[in-house]
Amino acid sequence: MTAGKPGLRRWLAMILALAMIAAACTSADDEGGDTTAPSDDGTTETTAASGGDTDDGGDDATGDTGDSDIKNPGLLVHAADDEPLSLDPAGVEPGEGGETVILQVYERLLEIGPGGPELVPGLATEVPTVDNGLISADGLTYTFPIREGVTFHDGTPLTADDVKYSWDRVMTMSLPESAADVLNDIVAETAVIDDYTFEVTLQKASAAFLNTAVVGMVSSIVSQDAVEANGGIVEGEFNEFMQGNMVGTGPYELAAWNRGENLQLSVYDGYWGTPANLDVRIEIGSTPDVRVLGLRAGDYDTIEADPSFIGEIEGAEGVTIFGEGLTVEPIHIGFNLNIPEGALPEEDTIPTDFFWDPKVRQAFNHAFDYQAFIDGALGGFGDFNPHYIPQGIFGYDPNAPVYDAPDPDRAVELFTEAGYCPEGFTASVITEEANLFEVAALVMKDSLERLPCNITIRVLAVAEAQFDDAHAQDPIEYAMWVKNADPFADPHSYVSSYQHPDGEWGEVHGFANGYADPEAVAELIDAAEVELDPEARAQLYSELQFLLYDDPMWLIAGQEGVVAAYRSWVQGWTSNPLWPRPSIKFALMDK
Amino acid sequence: MVLPLLIVGVSIIVFGLTRIGGSPIGIYLSHEMNAEEVAELEEKFHLNDPVPVQYYYWASGVLTGDLGWSGVAAAPVTDVFPDKLAATMELAVASAIVAVSLGIGLGTFAGARRDRAPDHITRVVAISGAAMPLFWFAILMLIVFWVGLGWFPIGRSDPTIYGRIAHPTGLYTVDALLAGDMGAFRDAIWHLVLPAVTLGYGATAIIARMMRSSLVEELQEDYVDAARAKGLAERLVLRRHARRNALIPTVTVIGLSFGFLLQGTVVAEIIFRWPGLGRWMADSVLRGDQATIMAYVLFTSVLFLFVNLVVDVIYAYLDRRVVLGT
Repeated sequence: MTAGKPGLRRWLAMILALAMIAAACTSADDEGGDTTAPSDDGTTETTAASGGDTDDGGDDATGDTGDSDIKNPGLLVHAADDEPLSLDPAGVEPGEGGETVILQVYERLLEIGPGGPELVPGLATEVPTVDNGLISADGLTYTFPIREGVTFHDGTPLTADDVKYSWDRVMTMSLPESAADVLNDIVAETAVIDDYTFEVTLQKASAAFLNTAVVGMVSSIVSQDAVEANGGIVEGEFNEFMQGNMVGTGPYELAAWNRGENLQLSVYDGYWGTPANLDVRIEIGSTPDVRVLGLRAGDYDTIEADPSFIGEIEGAEGVTIFGEGLTVEPIHIGFNLNIPEGALPEEDTIPTDFFWDPKVRQAFNHAFDYQAFIDGALGGFGDFNPHYIPQGIFGYDPNAPVYDAPDPDRAVELFTEAGYCPEGFTASVITEEANLFEVAALVMKDSLERLPCNITIRVLAVAEAQFDDAHAQDPIEYAMWVKNADPFADPHSYVSSYQHPDGEWGEVHGFANGYADPEAVAELIDAAEVELDPEARAQLYSELQFLLYDDPMWLIAGQEGVVAAYRSWVQGWTSNPLWPRPSIKFALMDK
Repeated sequence: MVLPLLIVGVSIIVFGLTRIGGSPIGIYLSHEMNAEEVAELEEKFHLNDPVPVQYYYWASGVLTGDLGWSGVAAAPVTDVFPDKLAATMELAVASAIVAVSLGIGLGTFAGARRDRAPDHITRVVAISGAAMPLFWFAILMLIVFWVGLGWFPIGRSDPTIYGRIAHPTGLYTVDALLAGDMGAFRDAIWHLVLPAVTLGYGATAIIARMMRSSLVEELQEDYVDAARAKGLAERLVLRRHARRNALIPTVTVIGLSFGFLLQGTVVAEIIFRWPGLGRWMADSVLRGDQATIMAYVLFTSVLFLFVNLVVDVIYAYLDRRVVLGT
C-alpha cells in the first residue's frame, strides 16, 4: 500500500504550511520592537516601531493612530460587559447595563459635562441657580427653561409637557428596582408653566437636587406620545414596550437590539446639538479574554476593562490604555451593628454588639493593608478613600485624616482596650466570590490574623445571587460584608445612604448603636443637604469627614481607578466616572 | 412509561439540588428594594413555601407552558427559550456534522492503515482532540484564526446581514436558505466554522478512536477474509462489509457524543459569544437564575433520552439482529 505515502506527504506539508502561517501572523504583535509610551493625558499607546508614532498627548487622547487600516469605518464597536435588562429610564436599575444605553439615547434637563462634576445645560437651556433666579430664594422651587426646536426620534417636538410626563411617570410607576425614590423622596410637585417652561417644587430645600435627581438616568425625558401609544403608565407595573424600545431626543436612536448578540445605535439626523460621528454597535456577552482579543484584532474599538486586563493589553499594537482618575464607587467592608441574636454563623464568637465599640471599628481600619489591596487587586490603579465622599465628588476634603497605611501596633492597642486581645475572636465576612470584593475580604483576613490577638476571619465567598440574598436582608445575618457603593454625583447621596444614622444603611446596620453622637452626625448631614452656599456646604462635609475618622462605620478598602482600553484610531475618547459605566459617551468619538 | 418517569426523577433531583444552594430570590432583588418589596416577591414566587410545594408550583407551570421568569434575560423563560435553543441546536448540529464526518472518515482511514504512519498521525490527532481542554483550544482557535489571520469572525452573524432577512426558524442557515439569500447563508456558515470545528474536534477524537478500533477488529473477522477470497476489491471489502459493521458500536458512541456536544456548547458559546442556551445557562448558574436552570435541565433530559432513542433505532437498522419493540 505504497499509494498512501504521497498523500501523507501532502498532508504533512499542508499542516506545516498552516502552522508557519499561523505562527507568522500571531507573532506579529510581539515583534518589531514595540514601544509603549505613556502620555500626559493618562493614556498609554503602543504602536509598532516600524510604522507608528506614539500619541502626541492631546487632551482628548487623539493623535496619530498608528493604524493605517481602520476596521469598520463609520462604525464604533464597543464590547460590553453585560446586556441591558431594561432600556426604560423608569425601570432601569442603577449601575445596570441599561444605563449605558440610556445615557446615549435619552437626554436629561441637565447633563454632567465631560470635564468633571460640573453641570451643563441639556434639554434645559440654563442651569438653575439662585443668582439667575431659576431657584427660588427659599430653595424650594426650580424653574427649567426648556430648549426649543428639539424633536424626539419619532419626530414629535419636545415640550414641557413631555418633561412633566416623564418625571410623573417615574414617580407613578415607582418600580422597586428603579431609582424612582430619587424623585419620590424629594419632589413635591411638577408643573408646566408654558410650552417651554417646567417647574419643580421640592418637599424641602436640597443642595443635592440638581446633582442627584435632575442628572440621573431615571430623570431622562421620554416621548409622551410614544409611551401613550404603547401601554401608557400603570402604577407599579413596568411598560413592556419601553423595556426594549427607546424614543428619546439624544444624538443616537436605537436601531436594533438582538438580545444576546448586539445592540445597535444609529446617528439621529434630527439631533438639535452637535451630531454624533459614528454609528455604534454594542457587542454583548464577550468574556474578558475575548474582549481583549477582539480589541487586539481590531474588531472592537472600545472595551469595558478593569485593572486585571492591563497585563494582557500592554504591548498590543494599536491599542491605547487609559488609566487616569478614579471611579466613584468606593469598595467597602460593612460593619453590622444590628446583628440579630443567634443569627451569626455558629463558628463566629463575637457578641452581637461587637461593632458598637468604636475602638473595634478603628482597630479594623488600622489593621487593613490598604496598599496591598490597591497594588494587588487594583493593579495600582486606585487610591485611598477616606470617609465616603469619594475623591472627585464635591465636598471631598483632601486634608481630612485618612486610614491609608496599616498601623498594627495601634490596632492591637485598640483591640486590647476593647477586650478582644489577646483573647481573640472569630468573625465571618460574606462576599461575592472571585472578584475584587473577595480579595478585599482576604486582605482583611490576612491583615487581622497577622496581629498577635488570636483573631480568625472567615471569608464566606458565595455566588452573586446568594450574596444578593444575604445582602438584601434586614437585618443582615452576618457580621461583615464586602461590596462597592452605588455611584452618585453629589455628596449627599453618599452620606445619606452610607453615614446617616437614619439613612438606608444606617437603619439596616444600626448606626445609632455605634455613633458616639448620632444626632451630631445626622445634623451635619441634614444641614449640608439644605445648605445652598457651596463654601458653607463644603465646610459641613469637611467637619463630617473629620468626625467619621474617629467613628468609622465602614472599612473603605480603596477607590478603584478608571481603566479602559481602546483602539488608537479612536479619537475624542473621553471618560467621566460620573457617567454610568463604562463612563464614556459614544457621540464624542470619531475614528 | 419509563421516559416520563426518568424526566420527573431528574427534575426532582435537580430542583432539590438548586434549592440547597439557597433561595432563588437573589436574582430578583435589587439594592433599591425594601423589606416589604422583598416579601412581596417571595410571596409571588412561592419562595416561602416548603420545597415540595415549590416543586409542585414549578411542575404545574411546566404543564401549562409556564417555565417561570428568567432574571438573567429579564423575560419569561418560554419567550427566550426558542431563540436560544435554535442557536444552540444550530451549533450542536454543525459540530455533530464535523465530528461524525471527520470521526468516521479519520477512523476508517486509520483503521485501514493499521500501525502505519497515517494510523499513528490520526491517533495523535484524535488523542490531542480528546486531551485538549475545550476552553484552551477555543482560545487558541481565536488567537490564530480571528486575531492572527482574521479568517473567521466571532459571534453568530454580521448584524448588517442579520437584519436583511426574516428569521422564522431562528436557525440562521435555514433562514438564509428560506429567504434565498446566499450571502446570508455564507455569513451564517462563516460564523459557524470556528465554534463548530472547536466543539466538533473533541467529539471527532472519540468517534475516530472508536471507529478505528472497531474497524481493526472487523478487518480480522472471517467474513472479511471470505470477501477478499471471493475476489472483492479491498475498497469494497472495506466499504460494504467491514465499515458497516464497525459503525454499530460507533453509532452508540456518536449518540453519547451528542451529550458531550451539548455540554461543550456551554464553553463554546461563552468563548465564541454564541447566544445560545449554554451561555444563558452559565450566566444563570452564576447568578442563581433557577427558573432558567430548571428549564435547561428539563430540556437536556428530554433531548438526551430522545437522542438515545434515535440511536437505538439506528442501531436496529445497522444490526439486523436487533429487533425493536421486543
